[in-house]
Amino acid sequence: MIGNVSSLPNEPPQFFRRGPSAIARLTFFGIISITLMFVDARFKTLETVRMAVATVVYPVQQLALVPGRGFSSISEFFESRDALRTENEQLRAQLLGSSQSIQASGAAVIEANRLKDLLGAARGVPAQSQPSKVLYLGRDSFSQKLFIERGSEQNFEAGAAVIDHLGLLGQLTRIHPLLAEVTLLTDNDFIVPSKIERTGLRVLVYGRGPARLPELGAVGSTTDVVEGDVLLTSNIDGVFPGNLRVCKIVRITKATDGAYSRIECAPFASTRSSESVLVLGRPAALPPRPAEDASKDTRAPGKRRRATE
Amino acid sequence: MGLLRFPESPLMRVARPEDILLPPKLWFVVLTLSFAFVANLLPFSGMALAVRPDFFALVLLYWAIHQPRWIGVGAAWACGLLTDVVEANLFGQHALAYAILGFAAEFFRLRVQRFPLWQQALYVLVLLLVAQLVVMVLRLMSGAAPPSFAFFLSSLTSVLLWPALSAFLQWPQRVRSLTD
Repeated sequence: MIGNVSSLPNEPPQFFRRGPSAIARLTFFGIISITLMFVDARFKTLETVRMAVATVVYPVQQLALVPGRGFSSISEFFESRDALRTENEQLRAQLLGSSQSIQASGAAVIEANRLKDLLGAARGVPAQSQPSKVLYLGRDSFSQKLFIERGSEQNFEAGAAVIDHLGLLGQLTRIHPLLAEVTLLTDNDFIVPSKIERTGLRVLVYGRGPARLPELGAVGSTTDVVEGDVLLTSNIDGVFPGNLRVCKIVRITKATDGAYSRIECAPFASTRSSESVLVLGRPAALPPRPAEDASKDTRAPGKRRRATE
Repeated sequence: MGLLRFPESPLMRVARPEDILLPPKLWFVVLTLSFAFVANLLPFSGMALAVRPDFFALVLLYWAIHQPRWIGVGAAWACGLLTDVVEANLFGQHALAYAILGFAAEFFRLRVQRFPLWQQALYVLVLLLVAQLVVMVLRLMSGAAPPSFAFFLSSLTSVLLWPALSAFLQWPQRVRSLTD
């Protein structure tokens, strides 16, 4: 005779139970992660949470910076006098070289303002600037970010341009109480409204992510562009002050099939190794748009969505 | 020649799969995890940044394999979320990747523990690559540009650390259990 099998328990006894199975837990946490990703990407509601946690984690990050700082101060100590002297000489030569153009630019600004006065146009106001130091590079392999120090009395504004001694570096995107995040101009889909120094042609410089150089968008294959052309900010967006050096054209691939050629350019700013940066204030407000234009397109070109929010 | 040989003490040799280790202390697990987290925050630049090992994922994987009662899918997920907050990009990407690591560790745990360290390292390499692939797919879906190939080098450098890391993390348990 067969015993009553159905009376056997289907589940292991209580003391073997260890919560839900691994796959159930993975599904649960997977769904939470994907929801978080969606909420973060769509609604940007987690920005305040992020800011709070970033402030809490800041001391830990500073702690992590200590060994590197110690190492660099030790290596500075052993740096020979010769190296310092050559660096000093180089810097002096650089200063001398730039002082000529600074003197010339002073006269040029006065002259330009006089001409603008004659024309009745608005004068260019020099932008305020605040110095800062680079704390560390962003660790994310997909985006191009940089973190800079923020003193307690410095008031940074999201969207402000950031430059180093060679050219435009990027834009402030997140301001934390003690540090600020700079999105570099090489970041994917970062747009800088620029003009070609030689011809004055207005173009847009598009960042193309970490693995590629920035490119010019929509420049026809018959346009007068040559390798070595220098691009300056055009201030057409009202975000970046005008005439900052952006990048230099390094390669032009003429299109055989389309109307546009592919133009790659290398940024002047040392995006991976600059140490001291300057945060520029917003340039003087542009005159309001004419009414009929405003109805067609309300978004200024080149303004990044994140920066304007 | 004799100088080069390590002394035949249980203190100096890595435990074999058949050796029985003492259970680790909770404070030791938490401490090593926090150190790994801070190590991930170390500022690197240039090539070092690209090949920087993911210390946090490694230590997490070690404890998920050796102490699954404390470090499982949920703990790994929480650690991933912490990483996401600090890295300040897409929220939840590392949380998902680390949760998958935690799950895989639980799944392969008994098998991996039977292997010598270099074979464990191969398993770990596959798991880390899967985790990186998850992160990459999520980022590409959210509209990021593809990274350079150096992105996957980080898993390789991590795996090179696995034997040394395992030896280090089992030290306190080995010392007390094998010398008694």
